[in-house]
Amino acid sequence: MPTPKALRDAIGRDLKPTRPLPRPMLRALTLAPIAAAIVIGLPALHAFRGDMGVIGFVRAWGFSIAQTTGGLVIIALALRESIPGRTLAAGTVTTTVVGGLALPMVMVVLTSSRFDIGPGAGRGLVEGVACFKTSALAAVPAVIVAAILAARAFPLRPGIAGGLYGLGAGLMADAGLRLYCDYSVPSHVLFAHGGAVAASMVAGAFVATAVARARP
Amino acid sequence: MSGYLDGQLDAFDAIYAALAGRLRGYLYSLCRDASLADDLVQDTFMQLHRSRRTYEPGRPVTPWVFAIARHVFLMQRRSAGRRLRFEETLVAEARRADRPRDDVAALVDREEVRRSLRQVPADQRQAVLMHHVDGDSFAEIAARLGIRVNAAKTRAFRGMKKLRALTKGSRD
Repeated sequence: MPTPKALRDAIGRDLKPTRPLPRPMLRALTLAPIAAAIVIGLPALHAFRGDMGVIGFVRAWGFSIAQTTGGLVIIALALRESIPGRTLAAGTVTTTVVGGLALPMVMVVLTSSRFDIGPGAGRGLVEGVACFKTSALAAVPAVIVAAILAARAFPLRPGIAGGLYGLGAGLMADAGLRLYCDYSVPSHVLFAHGGAVAASMVAGAFVATAVARARP
Repeated sequence: MSGYLDGQLDAFDAIYAALAGRLRGYLYSLCRDASLADDLVQDTFMQLHRSRRTYEPGRPVTPWVFAIARHVFLMQRRSAGRRLRFEETLVAEARRADRPRDDVAALVDREEVRRSLRQVPADQRQAVLMHHVDGDSFAEIAARLGIRVNAAKTRAFRGMKKLRALTKGSRD
């Protein structure tokens, strides 16, 4: 079947050598410096958690590095989702979202020695909001860079791609936050830390949808 | 595909020759309209061209192309739905009157909308028609008119507001 002349002319006018995008994991590694800056910078700017000596190097730094790596892998999945024909299966998306949202709680269960450390009486909301804000703001640069990387591809389901890179960015931010906040009461971890990760995920979905609508 | 990525038009011809027939069949199975399927094949190849950098060398071309084709179909269906909703709005406006209406009165109302539309400033009228009748997105309107996306939204919004005021005024 020959190419219609109008289509051939339109393609010919715009045709020039094009370099394909690198693989999703390689592109996700662009965010590694941001991830490192969050994990080191967040506790360095505020204060390191009081029980660093008690939980030890591996349970503090090791688990934060693992969580950051998990965040990068989720961003790589989002970038893969942004390529036509490589969209993720529903089961993979569900598992990733559920696992990602549960991760802050899992980290506390795995690393804390006791689960009754929390804000003083009447300080729960203030401390919760502080943790939420710190974590959500720390995720913003990663969300922006991931949004640019995804927009360079062609996400056919922008809400899903954006939600995933928002989730990954949120986990990276929480990996830094857990080196600063040593509260282990479930309500604080669930609402302040988990809530910030969820908010980052929702923000990512909104950003990706808005970018997709602006696309010509 | 690598020749096409290197900028060879002949390579594009080869891709078209290999895939256009199958794509047309696939798109026809989705829309059940032969001429629309032909249009969607052209749109798919244009979209494929715009997003050719997303092709990963070494991977099969077919899933990539068919995913783009499905997306093109869904976008077309969405804009057609938007156009239909606008037409339904026009009809609903024509029916929104106190007395019982007959076909002649409905036609009069439609004429009223047309007349009111002519009184809307040209730039706003153009944005209203492109968005609500042709189903163009604001990004497409902005690109075609050489204005910002927000300006396109503002023109369409103000145009619709003015149109509503004019059609209401002509009935009062």
